Amino acid sequence: MMRHLPLIVFVALLGAGPLLLPEFTVTLLNYIGLYAIVAVGLVLLTGVGGLTSFGQAAFVGLGAYTTAWLTTVYGVSPWLTLLIGIALTAAVALCLGFITLRMGGHYLPLGTIAWGISLYFLFGNVEFLGGHTGITGIPTVSLFGWELKSAREFYYLIWLVVLLAMLSVRNLLDSRVGRSIRALKGGAVMAEAMGVNTPQAKIVIFLIAAVLAAISGWLYAHLQRFVNPTPFSINQGIEYLFMAVIGGVGHVWGAVLGAGLITVLKQWLQDFLPQLLGQSGNFEIIVFGIAMVLILQRARDGLWPVILRRLPLRSAGGPRQLVAAEPLPRRARPAPGSVLLDASEVTKRFGGLVANNRMSLSVKAGEVMALIGPNGAGKSTMFNCVSAVNPATEGKIAFLGESTVDLVSRDIARRGMSRTFQHVKLLGQMSVLENVAIGAHLRGRQGTLAAALRLDRGEEARLLAEAAQQIERVGLKEQMFEPAGSLALGQQRIVEIARALASDPCLLLLDEPAAGLRYLEKQALADLLRKLRSEGMGILLVEHDMEFVMGLADRIVVMEFGEKIAEGTPAEIQSNPRVLEAYLGGVESAA
Amino acid sequence: MSRKLALAVLAAFSTAALAEINIGVSVSATGPAASLGIPEKNTIALLPTTIGGQKVNYIVLDDATDPTAATKNIKKLISENKVDVVIGSTTTPNSLAMMDIAVDNETPLISMAGSAIVVEPMDTKRQWVFKTAQNDAHMATAIVQHMTDKNVQSVAFIGFADAYGEGWYKEFAKIAEARKLKVVASERYQRNDTSVTGQILKIIAAKPDAVLVGGAGTPAVLPQKALKEKGYKGLIYQTHGVANNDFLRVGAKDVEGAFLPVGPMVVAAQLPADNPVRNSALEYVNKYEAANGKGSVSSFGGHAWDAGVLLGAAIPQALKKARPGTVEFRRALREALEGVKNVPGAHGIFNMSTSDHQGFDQRARVMVTIQNNTWKLIK
Amino acid sequence: MDLQIFLLLGQDGVTNGAIYALLALALVLIFAVTRIIFIPQGEFVAYGALTLASLQAGKIPGTVWLLLALGLVVIVLDGVQMLREGRYGKLPSLLIFNLGWPLLCAAVLFALPPGDLPLALQVLLSLLLVVPMGPMVYRVAYQPLAGASVLVLLIVSVAVHVAMIGLGLLFFGAEGSRTPAFTEVSFELAGAPLQGQTLLVVAASAALIAGLYFFFERTLYGKALRATAMNRTGARLMGIAPTLAGKLCFTLAAAIGVFSGILIAPITTIYYDSGFLIGLKGFVGAIIGGLASYPVAALGALLVGLLESYSSFWASAYKEVIVFTMIIPVLLWRSLTTRHVEEEEE
Repeated sequence: MMRHLPLIVFVALLGAGPLLLPEFTVTLLNYIGLYAIVAVGLVLLTGVGGLTSFGQAAFVGLGAYTTAWLTTVYGVSPWLTLLIGIALTAAVALCLGFITLRMGGHYLPLGTIAWGISLYFLFGNVEFLGGHTGITGIPTVSLFGWELKSAREFYYLIWLVVLLAMLSVRNLLDSRVGRSIRALKGGAVMAEAMGVNTPQAKIVIFLIAAVLAAISGWLYAHLQRFVNPTPFSINQGIEYLFMAVIGGVGHVWGAVLGAGLITVLKQWLQDFLPQLLGQSGNFEIIVFGIAMVLILQRARDGLWPVILRRLPLRSAGGPRQLVAAEPLPRRARPAPGSVLLDASEVTKRFGGLVANNRMSLSVKAGEVMALIGPNGAGKSTMFNCVSAVNPATEGKIAFLGESTVDLVSRDIARRGMSRTFQHVKLLGQMSVLENVAIGAHLRGRQGTLAAALRLDRGEEARLLAEAAQQIERVGLKEQMFEPAGSLALGQQRIVEIARALASDPCLLLLDEPAAGLRYLEKQALADLLRKLRSEGMGILLVEHDMEFVMGLADRIVVMEFGEKIAEGTPAEIQSNPRVLEAYLGGVESAA
Repeated sequence: MSRKLALAVLAAFSTAALAEINIGVSVSATGPAASLGIPEKNTIALLPTTIGGQKVNYIVLDDATDPTAATKNIKKLISENKVDVVIGSTTTPNSLAMMDIAVDNETPLISMAGSAIVVEPMDTKRQWVFKTAQNDAHMATAIVQHMTDKNVQSVAFIGFADAYGEGWYKEFAKIAEARKLKVVASERYQRNDTSVTGQILKIIAAKPDAVLVGGAGTPAVLPQKALKEKGYKGLIYQTHGVANNDFLRVGAKDVEGAFLPVGPMVVAAQLPADNPVRNSALEYVNKYEAANGKGSVSSFGGHAWDAGVLLGAAIPQALKKARPGTVEFRRALREALEGVKNVPGAHGIFNMSTSDHQGFDQRARVMVTIQNNTWKLIK
Repeated sequence: MDLQIFLLLGQDGVTNGAIYALLALALVLIFAVTRIIFIPQGEFVAYGALTLASLQAGKIPGTVWLLLALGLVVIVLDGVQMLREGRYGKLPSLLIFNLGWPLLCAAVLFALPPGDLPLALQVLLSLLLVVPMGPMVYRVAYQPLAGASVLVLLIVSVAVHVAMIGLGLLFFGAEGSRTPAFTEVSFELAGAPLQGQTLLVVAASAALIAGLYFFFERTLYGKALRATAMNRTGARLMGIAPTLAGKLCFTLAAAIGVFSGILIAPITTIYYDSGFLIGLKGFVGAIIGGLASYPVAALGALLVGLLESYSSFWASAYKEVIVFTMIIPVLLWRSLTTRHVEEEEE
């Protein structure tokens, strides 16, 4: 209950607002609500997903123009045009997203500018949409015969939408799909390796942001009862982004705060500057620009985090308690001794550089295979080839008897291979529990809509319970609710193992799991790996700690300069002259 | 505290006792239409502060050429400032956006935009809307007339890619067609484009006898300059939107010889002494230039002045029927505005009626040409 | 469309493209060194052109007041810090650059009637008035935000752009200005007239690009900037202060902007808000160059200029639609063929 208190207070204030506030304040709140809906979409898209879009105003325009045209020319009910507008916007967003979301880096924002400008000029040049002059006489909206004509009445509709948008986005982010979305920014490679379809996740948030914008446009058209292209220009698109960033682009509440702040500040400047400086000039935008620079200099993450820090309440960062839940089903285990992975003649080139040259190795169920060699020998490259994070140039890799040549890393993950990374890839802001739960991504199936409507709680509890169980298993129960970024590096490596285990793999790829661990921790890790082996799991291990490797591995492959120089049991390897030479020659670098 | 309260009570009382008239103004003083909105804003400062013995307050807001801001402004003017009438806005889209709110609150709206759709076709909504700027059609007729007099057979159009250019093209094309003038090319450009070479080459390739440039202010120079540079020898027409000194300054010798229709105030001093608009136009020109410097007057400011002229004529009538600040007053004001007859403004003589809320006749336009870098009345 | 029209359109496209290319270079430079997407780049174009126009009209340009104000803010910000840290030795140079310089400019303006000066001096004066604003803007707006994310820096850029547009309207009014041509010469090329001024734009742009190349390859400061662009941390370890690099590249970018403005002011009309669209098209070029490659950025800008020119002939109402829709496949192609670091930011 306490957790929901701020929300309840907010809703109560919202509900009472129009009864107490003067007319124009209600009008301003209406506009703030309209902007906030778009900004909430941007929080999801840009703040969380890391995809910067300047083109949201064009989607607002699509929603607004659809209803304006259909209601004025064909007399279609506004409620029907809302659905049509959403469908149309979703279709357009799907096409645009399909093209532009493939762009990486700085190409994407410019891509959004490009179609934002194109759509804006299309609105202005299409004769039946009223050209640059616009469409007048858009009807008001009626709800069960109640005509929402005044600002006070429309207020409730707008803020209902704002609340629903905020709640569903917050629900979504706190779910299986939400975790994969939160991994897009800074963790896409990891997410793919955990089975997340990242292009699909990008499209999903792009669609949600576009649909929210279209709904805002629909509301705008019926509030304003007039549309022309001006409010859907690239400048307005930039302004939406502005609102989200000033408010705090990583936070749903930041969107509302930003929209409110900018609208109120502009109004306030318009009221007070002429009194201060006289009517002759137009100082509003100058002061506004300077004020924005100052705000960002004081609070570069936006204002919402600043407010959060001042509040006594803890911010609600994901789940803090676990609900008892039925364990998730496990996949069928391959028979011990059967071949899980068979890589032969694998070559990987980066331009002219050959990182792996005709490497071969295999891993069986119920064995620990270690891959060792001096730094730069190409071990991690081999890992990336096997898990298809960075596929091989040539050669054959078969997992469970199936060639992986056409598979991407998430397909391989689905078939039961999971891995950790040499350079830890955790999402530092998220709790250990949530990080590990990403590993269980493929073991759930509830989608975006179910998450937004909270219909996924049963499955979510099972996923989190599984994650918690794996965390306990690796001995990090105490740190379960801490942000992953706050852990020591060695512990972070262990979290990676828990995450990999959460996917219920039959083959586990561990890239230097013991680095940074203390002696006792190493022993605990070795015990864990032995136990996993005894359960029939195959483990492929890259490790520099020879004592750890020799005490654990069943077989060892030694690499040097991208090639295999030896293979055998620990005892054979320890007496292999070539290995000794390689290691003696490379003692300094291998240390 | 108590003193403050007393003052507030006193202030409230005095307003009630004097029944001041509040006039809301929303102009596009920034954004793309700033060159139109700024002289309008400057003109508001010259309007009378008492009408019919009552004190008049003007509340001026900027809408940044954005219809959303214009709507916000009129909502604020009506709900916060309790205005009796709203003057605004500069552009057609902004005026259209403000219309519904004015109607819902039974507040007369006096627009300064060009397009006739602000006041036509007359319906229950447009009852509340008046307009001081000549309709584009009104001006376009003068251009077409001049063209046919000059034996022009074919004409090309190049205008802004916005509501201004669009409105002009629609009206012009309609009238030109009726008068058997062939429109052989229709091109658009952005107000702050750095080049119109492509459009001009296409126009020249169509070999028109005349070209009409549908732009406002200094941006209308570029097409004419490009036409000259590329060796175009036909007639060049501009719209009344260019009638300010900056256009002459930037255009210099490139705009020599252009023809355009303007409100008579632009050439007020050249009008014959018996012209009915001459005195009222000169009054505005002199006042504006006294306040803002010689040669600073532009035809757009005149529209704001004319809004003041209309109110100056209508408010005394309305005052007879009701007190300012009431809906009865606003209704009476609307009726009085509709009944304005033979009132000379800066741009022409207003004769309003229930079906015509613009009120100008052909006395509100004259053809001028640019000669020696000044506007020259064509007799 | 005959050959003559084709050539004229090409010439027009190259002229505009040359200006976009200059701006693209400035944008790439600033981004590579500071990770700022410098949206106000276009404002320097407008400020430069309009300051020159004011001087020619015999008026005191408003930019001189802005220069004085910015200088004072810099002095307050840096001066307080220097006094606190006891670095008194640096105070004189701070005062000279940020107060002495603007005062000198103001004095010159008030002492001499600017309208009567020869053109070359007017151009020089415009450069001296506007270019110092580059490093000042960096100091005041961006330096406190070093290390912020690209998105935050971008939003700050938008805010600076908004403020500068507002100031531009205040200084120069809503109407545009044009300056007299530097040359009235006209040639003929394959039957199409070729303005001397157009040729001058292209030649000057090419010369400036060559000059920049020389600067980066041959001079110490240029090499330092390149080093910072390649590896910020490394450059700091090598003793190149990031703020110095930032100020340096903002000075260069401002100079490029003002120079471009002065170049095109005679062939078109410049308004207080002209900069944004010109800058945006330069930005398109810069992005095509991946915000990293100077030659590709220049080519991209040229492409934008040509696209714009030809589409304004074919369907002028749809010009922007065509230009920006055609950009999308180019972006897609560039994005898919260049490797970029995906996980650069948390």
